[in-house]
Amino acid sequence: MKKSPKVNEVNEFLEIASDFEDPLEVLRESLSNSYDAEATEVQISIYTRPSGSDIIIEDDGHGMDERDLESFFDLGNSQKTDSIGYKGHGTKIFYKSDRIEVTSRHDGTSYRAVMDEPWEKLNRKELPEYELTKNTVRSGNSGTKIKITNFRSGKGFEAESFTYNKIHHYLKWKTIAGSTAHFFGDDEREMEITVTLDDDIDDTRDKLVTNNRLEFPSEQLEPSDGMYPAERMCKHYPAKEIDVEYENGETTLQIVGLVGGKKTRNEFPTYGRHSAQFGIWLAKDHIKVERLNEAISHDNEYIHFFFVANCQDIELSANRETIRNKSSSVYQAINKEIEYYLSKVTQDPWFKSYLEKRKEGKHQRKTAKQQSSLKKRREKVESDGFTPENTAEVLIGLERADRNNHSLSLSVEDHDPTADVDTIIRQNGRLRNATVNTRLTDLFENDAPLENIDVAICWDLGDPAELKEYERTGYFGGEVELHLSNGGFEYRNGDSQYIDILQVDELLTEPTATKLDD
Amino acid sequence: MQFEVETTAGDARLGILTINGESLSTPNLFPVMNFYGGGAKTSVYGGGIHRTLKEFMIEADAVGDGSFSEYFDATMTSVSSLTDYNINKDRYDDYLDKPIKEREAFEGLESIIFADSGGFKFLNDGAIDGSDFEVEMDQETIYEIQEAFGADIIVNLDHPIAPDDTHDDRIRKAEKTAQNIHKFLTVSREFEGAKYLTLHGYNYSMMDEFLDVITDSVPEGVLREGFDGIALGSLVPKKDNRSALIQAVTDCRELMADWGMGDWPLHVLGISSRAAPILAALGADTFDSSTHIHNAINGKYYQSLMESTMIDDADFSECDCPVCRSDLLVERMNGNAEYQKDISGAVAMHNLIITKNELQTIRQCIRADGTEALVDYFEDTFGGDKTMRRYAHQVVNKSLGGYFA
Repeated sequence: MKKSPKVNEVNEFLEIASDFEDPLEVLRESLSNSYDAEATEVQISIYTRPSGSDIIIEDDGHGMDERDLESFFDLGNSQKTDSIGYKGHGTKIFYKSDRIEVTSRHDGTSYRAVMDEPWEKLNRKELPEYELTKNTVRSGNSGTKIKITNFRSGKGFEAESFTYNKIHHYLKWKTIAGSTAHFFGDDEREMEITVTLDDDIDDTRDKLVTNNRLEFPSEQLEPSDGMYPAERMCKHYPAKEIDVEYENGETTLQIVGLVGGKKTRNEFPTYGRHSAQFGIWLAKDHIKVERLNEAISHDNEYIHFFFVANCQDIELSANRETIRNKSSSVYQAINKEIEYYLSKVTQDPWFKSYLEKRKEGKHQRKTAKQQSSLKKRREKVESDGFTPENTAEVLIGLERADRNNHSLSLSVEDHDPTADVDTIIRQNGRLRNATVNTRLTDLFENDAPLENIDVAICWDLGDPAELKEYERTGYFGGEVELHLSNGGFEYRNGDSQYIDILQVDELLTEPTATKLDD
Repeated sequence: MQFEVETTAGDARLGILTINGESLSTPNLFPVMNFYGGGAKTSVYGGGIHRTLKEFMIEADAVGDGSFSEYFDATMTSVSSLTDYNINKDRYDDYLDKPIKEREAFEGLESIIFADSGGFKFLNDGAIDGSDFEVEMDQETIYEIQEAFGADIIVNLDHPIAPDDTHDDRIRKAEKTAQNIHKFLTVSREFEGAKYLTLHGYNYSMMDEFLDVITDSVPEGVLREGFDGIALGSLVPKKDNRSALIQAVTDCRELMADWGMGDWPLHVLGISSRAAPILAALGADTFDSSTHIHNAINGKYYQSLMESTMIDDADFSECDCPVCRSDLLVERMNGNAEYQKDISGAVAMHNLIITKNELQTIRQCIRADGTEALVDYFEDTFGGDKTMRRYAHQVVNKSLGGYFA
């Protein structure tokens, strides 16, 4: 007996719609649809609502007929074959709302489709239906208007957090508005995009007008003056189409990009941190999808690069965030080709000179910083004398004290700054384990184990009240008893142990033994 | 002065402080009040927002007919406030001519007045500058002013410590304070109110060392005879560091017990009113604060001790305090007033009432059997506040028996 696996339609719709949280993703899907419908103008309006946002998208594309509207509402039933939204998943983002209204004019007919309470119904395990009405109208004036009422944003994606600036950056970085198709000329169509936000969201301007082209910052091949000579350097690497052969087929890779310093990168409308936004992008429909930074050899920091490598033969996941045919031979082949292309960029003499300029700037800044730091340190030596600020200086002080006063009979025999018991000294011929701190209080603050220490070397004792607190409250389950006037302290934790204190500032001020005049 | 502890819950104690015939239930808050702010009698001696608060205190017609005096059963004033208003010698002499409570303007005032010495002005190398009224502000003068105010509680002139002071700095300051204590006890022999000894330090050893330095100049017996209470100072720079506050107050109580001062009242100088429940639970008996005023000046209206909103967003109908029940005062808080002090003065009064009512609740919790009521109060008050709740847990663990004991 043969049986067919079943699909739970409601759960599938719920799953797919739940993947989307950011209302801006609605814009990404809508702009792609408008572009597919050959629109030349798209208008988007967003209004804030107590538990979400109303979003209206209107375009002058060729509109949708009854069959297109079915695809709009159906799952995985797209009519499109070679366009951005061919999978039929994107528009299901609209189901996360209270109402979807679509009005479209197509070939002399006006269609209106309304779906009420789609999200609530899906959550009630009910498949929402839509009401379709048709009217005959004059031909011409085609276009589509979609109104999404109370789109349910995910936590942290509330419409109030939008600004024109944020939306502009999102559009340019994540959607077809940031397409790099125009660099390749051929079949690129220009589309004007207008976004209007509710005054409650952002009242700093009336609207945002942009197009579907990502423009690059201007080229500057020569370094600037000053401490950061390379920061505005920039070289464009023009659009290049590469035919790539792979097992059983052939595809085209379209690659365009630039190399530039920090100031150049700041001129990009990036969405998110630079470290997550620069490097090599793989794209489909000239919209960036995923980065392939391993394509740049390890000795070159990817952050200086911005390349978009477009290939129509990569396949995307439902939410268009990742590539899903990474194990395919076509993916492997384009991967190799991109790596090869970039190896040429990284060997470009201009790129070498750019790195050289960066290095020079860094060196110059380091020298300037050294000068000012040395000046301060020298001034401090002149005004305060020898005052150790680190453990190495404390040991220098100790050696100096021994030089001034040979009767101390002290020498540092071993010092490993990474070890807990960092120093071995020879005192009166005997080797002793020691730990060095600028202040004795640091010994306790650093949680140093005391069990294996014979001597605590310090420049000074630090705050006596702080030491007394250790005497009062104990240290790692043991008791501390200070005998400061005898130059030591006792630590009792099972065994009792006496630790000598070598206070270097005092050793240095003690009078030097009088030399006998012989 | 008499201080009787009626009952305790953990380290928290419920007491009655009686001085010069006035009684105060503790733990309690002394709201900061500048009695003399440059003005004359007709303006209740002036002082901007302080003037409005004084009008509330004496229930003047200018603030309607509500009952407010009960919230001023204790007040904190500082002699150094005189230096804040550029007053001249004549006005200075006038202000010191008669004790506060004997003045017509403050007739019938039933408030325990605590007059601070103004030592906090010495922090950051500052000074108490009496040059406007041709007076050198030393311990003797400070005491004369405290006495002339008719204060009920006074403290010696002190030199507070700062968090980045070195050990030597602290010892130097303690020595200066010791000299002042010596002088203070000499000149204040006839004083009829309570005398509090200022104590400085962030932990037991620092306070212990402070008392060691003091007792080098003033014998321990004289100190114990001469003073009636402890005023713990130097915590203002740490007032937002709750852990430091908790340690200082806990250690101070321990030190007081070790130095034979365990039954003295403990006052914590200059705290944020939000810390009041924590301090009360740790065993502080009184504290002073001007947070209600500062917040009002910054437009903040208390919805509770822990929550506030900007005055423009406040819903006064949700509060039944005498300020919010008064049409006149609500009108002012809505911004319809000639002077800013009338708007922020009303908000400050409301904020003070919220704080004082909170202390009333805390006292009821201490009065209840065991520590459960106080622990529940901490749960309700701090449970929803992520930054405060770990400190509340610390207090429950240190002073109220803990959650898992």
